[in-house]
Amino acid sequence: MHLPPAMVLRILVWGTVILGSLVSGLILLGAGIQLRRDRQNRHRIARYQAWEADLAAYLFSGEGTPRTFPRVAKEDRQLFQKFLTRYHATLAGKEAEALRELYLDLGVHRSLPRRLKQRQTAVRAQAAQEVGIFRLGEYLEAVVPLLDDPVPYVTHLAAQALTLNGDLRFAQPVVDWVLREERYQRERLLRVLEGFGPDLLPWLEAHLDPPEAAPEPWILFALLAGSHRHRASAPRLLELIAHPDVDIQASALKALAALADPLTYARVEPLARHEAWAVRAQAAKALGLIGGPDAIPALIALTSDPIYEVRRNAAQGMADLGHAGTSALTWLAEDPTADRFARDIAKERLEWADERGHQ
Amino acid sequence: MSRKWPDPTRVLVVEDDQATARLIQARLEMEGLKVYVAPHGVEGLEILQREPIDLVTTDLMMPAMNGFRLVQEIRDLPPPKGRVPILLVSSNQNEQDMIRCLAAGADDYMTKPISAQVLVERLWRMHQRSSSAG
Repeated sequence: MHLPPAMVLRILVWGTVILGSLVSGLILLGAGIQLRRDRQNRHRIARYQAWEADLAAYLFSGEGTPRTFPRVAKEDRQLFQKFLTRYHATLAGKEAEALRELYLDLGVHRSLPRRLKQRQTAVRAQAAQEVGIFRLGEYLEAVVPLLDDPVPYVTHLAAQALTLNGDLRFAQPVVDWVLREERYQRERLLRVLEGFGPDLLPWLEAHLDPPEAAPEPWILFALLAGSHRHRASAPRLLELIAHPDVDIQASALKALAALADPLTYARVEPLARHEAWAVRAQAAKALGLIGGPDAIPALIALTSDPIYEVRRNAAQGMADLGHAGTSALTWLAEDPTADRFARDIAKERLEWADERGHQ
Repeated sequence: MSRKWPDPTRVLVVEDDQATARLIQARLEMEGLKVYVAPHGVEGLEILQREPIDLVTTDLMMPAMNGFRLVQEIRDLPPPKGRVPILLVSSNQNEQDMIRCLAAGADDYMTKPISAQVLVERLWRMHQRSSSAG
């Protein structure tokens, strides 16, 4: 079909006009959005600067002086919540308590049940964070469903909120969540569980399935016992070093090293001859810490281990024992009849210390 | 408790989180201290070489030059600058890092969250020790 030239021209003109209008409209819209964001940013910076000065005066007012903070405008309250949460990782003690009072005075915590169910991820995350850092125990029930949130960041903040309040009624859902997570995140998950404090350990002992049925939770148990230096967990840790799972054994050894109880040395020492190198490497770290200078013969034996990591840990363990350990390393390094591996690792460790001017 | 800081006592605060730095600065200025703030170790070292700093408090994890490296660099300076008391403040609770920093020459170590009251008290003790050591 052929269109008359006048019609083609008209279509072209109108098409260009419509396209031009669309592009101009989009440019104007973008500029408008940018302008709005710039204005919001300027407002945020101005408010933050003013609040920083006010917060310092509020937190550090002298003894006996009542704490006062200027009134926060209703439209700025959301901004102020974010401002306050910036300090949660920084402040402790009386100042953290004062920060909590300031937050409660604002009254925004009353909207938490609604915000915890909000469709916007950032709003749910912020609400969960507030429950955790401002220790709002009365909202914990409302946080539990967020452990099944599709956004990992939100579930993590929800778990943190539940642990930071130290309420063991929520231990089960949090432990279940931890066990659903990937193993490579173990360190991050441990930090979350530490929030419950050492009281979680007896709870775990009472509630976990036996290690034969489910080993992973017992690895977390052992690592937590170590990070809390929980002496009451030592009998269970001694049972765990005899468990056939290498990961459990190595984790329990790590915890026993943190406890450093000489009475456990006789039970730990045979693991220096374990068939799995991961256990021997951990034993090499633990022996000196638990046994002190008595561990030197066992550590010397480990310096000729075929695995470098075991030898390195053994040499480090000896150096950490001070004069007695360093003397043994020097003797090893200079003994022409000593095992080649042992001699080399002793020399390596001594040279390393020499370069840095300390043991 | 009342502390009588010598006038002037200059403190260098090396901290990459500006909000935290300003809060620490406000608390230390309330004590009557003169405070210099640097966002990382490189600038901190420059200030230390330029000004007669009496105490240093530094974060551990920072861009450009971290706290561990800063401690090493300071301790490599000739005295008296090389002997300035250093307090490390970090959110990292790793025991090995603490040992590493103390071995590198830091005088004390605090982990975040911190109480500003405790921070001031630690700085005061460090200052007292360094004054009595001459």
